[in-house]
Amino acid sequence: MERTVSGIIDDPVANRFLVPRRNFTDRAVFEREYAAIFDRCWLYLGHASELPEPGSFVTRTVARRPVLFTRDKEGEFRALLNACPHRGALVCRERKGKSRAFMCMYHGWTFGSDGHLMTLPGSSGYPEGFKTDPQKQMVHVPRMERFGDFFFINFSRDGEDLATYLAGAGDYLKLVAEHSPSGMQVVGGTQEYSIRGNWKLLSENSFDGYHAACNHSTYLEYLKSTKGALGVDPLVGVEHTLGNGHAVVEYTAPWGRPIANWIPAWGEEGKVEIDKVYAELVTRLGAERADRLARKSRNMVIFPNLVVNDIMAVTVRTFFPTAPDYMEINAWALAPVEESEWLRKYRLYNFTEFLGPGGFATPDDVEAIEKCQQGYAVGGEAVYNDISKGMNRSDTPSFDDEEQMRAFWREWDRRISAVEA
Amino acid sequence: MDDILTLRLKVEDLLFLEADLLDRWMLKEWLALFTEDAWYHVPPSDVDGDTADPDKSLFYIVDDSMRLRERVNRLMKIGAHSEHPRSKVRHLVSNVRVERDGDVIRARSSFVVYRSKDITSDAFIGHYIHEIVERDGKMMIAGKKAVLDMEALRPHGRISIIL
Repeated sequence: MERTVSGIIDDPVANRFLVPRRNFTDRAVFEREYAAIFDRCWLYLGHASELPEPGSFVTRTVARRPVLFTRDKEGEFRALLNACPHRGALVCRERKGKSRAFMCMYHGWTFGSDGHLMTLPGSSGYPEGFKTDPQKQMVHVPRMERFGDFFFINFSRDGEDLATYLAGAGDYLKLVAEHSPSGMQVVGGTQEYSIRGNWKLLSENSFDGYHAACNHSTYLEYLKSTKGALGVDPLVGVEHTLGNGHAVVEYTAPWGRPIANWIPAWGEEGKVEIDKVYAELVTRLGAERADRLARKSRNMVIFPNLVVNDIMAVTVRTFFPTAPDYMEINAWALAPVEESEWLRKYRLYNFTEFLGPGGFATPDDVEAIEKCQQGYAVGGEAVYNDISKGMNRSDTPSFDDEEQMRAFWREWDRRISAVEA
Repeated sequence: MDDILTLRLKVEDLLFLEADLLDRWMLKEWLALFTEDAWYHVPPSDVDGDTADPDKSLFYIVDDSMRLRERVNRLMKIGAHSEHPRSKVRHLVSNVRVERDGDVIRARSSFVVYRSKDITSDAFIGHYIHEIVERDGKMMIAGKKAVLDMEALRPHGRISIIL
């Protein structure tokens, strides 16, 4: 079946799933994505642990818009568009911190951490009631909701609530929260990088089980050659579609997991630590869920651009395009608040081993994505990407099939088609 | 000549040799400049790179001696796709200051590292902190931190070379 707008060919009878490459290169498609997807979907803003107390704030760019994420003096979480109602200058120019008020450096208009105009210099030049005029306050992002400690925003006033939007992905977010009896926190330090490729290539790549053997051969060889780095579990598993374009691959893997799969390299001290963590999971969650949480790795993409990968460490990653062939990525590490110093050290060591721009794997993902983008320039007869792996299976799709990507693309196609060009 | 000036010249000689070996992709020889228990760190941009603790904050690179050797092994393989074919690399090191701290020599310097390959040329800008020790009359690197002075790793996307 050929779709009208995106040209995707989705034909389960013939086991064909083809995505035209112009969807990665075309400027009009890119602008349409902002109108149909980024301005309408629930987008990840931040984690509650990043704002520990009243007055805490971080600034962040979400879907090209500068956002000020704060807690007001009552401790309520707020998402404000970071622009002065007077002339539009960025009000807060710090990356993060704690403040009771934010002063625009241009004319000194000063706002409370809930966005209301507190101080108006030269107020005798304005009529009565000007200062409390709703138009003279900082503008709140139309919608903000939380799921556990994960905060999302939506630039559209209409549409489903967050829990409905997350559908089956909600239980997997809950599973990440369940790593800890006392809550998860974002560890300090953000990996902020970019890729010269289309953003959808990173959505695909983030839960692509098929590319590991070739693209990450040097990482897998490193695990094998390094004494004690290799665990007992083989790389094998399944994928689940979760509704609304979200999907996850869930599998066993040969790497160590701080929650909670021991490898010999962590030594006897580490075994004691990991056994303790595992026992607590069993007590709190029961044997079955504890075993799944501890031993299985999960790569999840929440449509369109939130990656929560619970693998050799837990990373939360989000990314936005600024052009069809360029995206900016932010990635954080999540960890249990109560984690021991030993475990935190190994968690971060594990994270940087594979993940991020300096890891033993991510640079090769970046290379793959950039080479795809460059390859699309051939045009001509080679106009389609093939996303059909596993369509011929009648049983549960394997973790290294491409059903999760087809779920992403079907949702992408549905949303793109629903908006007038 | 003052002792500190002589020391600075010796340290500069080591840092320039290090830069030259990296530029020529002589990574095994580069590794031989390091002690057996050396470390190599690259902190991210939103922490104080001079003081941040890699056991408590997420970094870009936290290599102990084992992983540093593995980093070199990996980069020598054809499966390290990001650097095969290899990029052209140029390390510029300047503004070297040195001080003695017991048996350790601490050197602080400025760097610009260029990585050039097919579509692009990226500049990494920052400062190094080297910990240098003398072993058998020879200066060796016991630790190296590359602190990026950039607001984010953009538009680079990767630190696939050694800074």
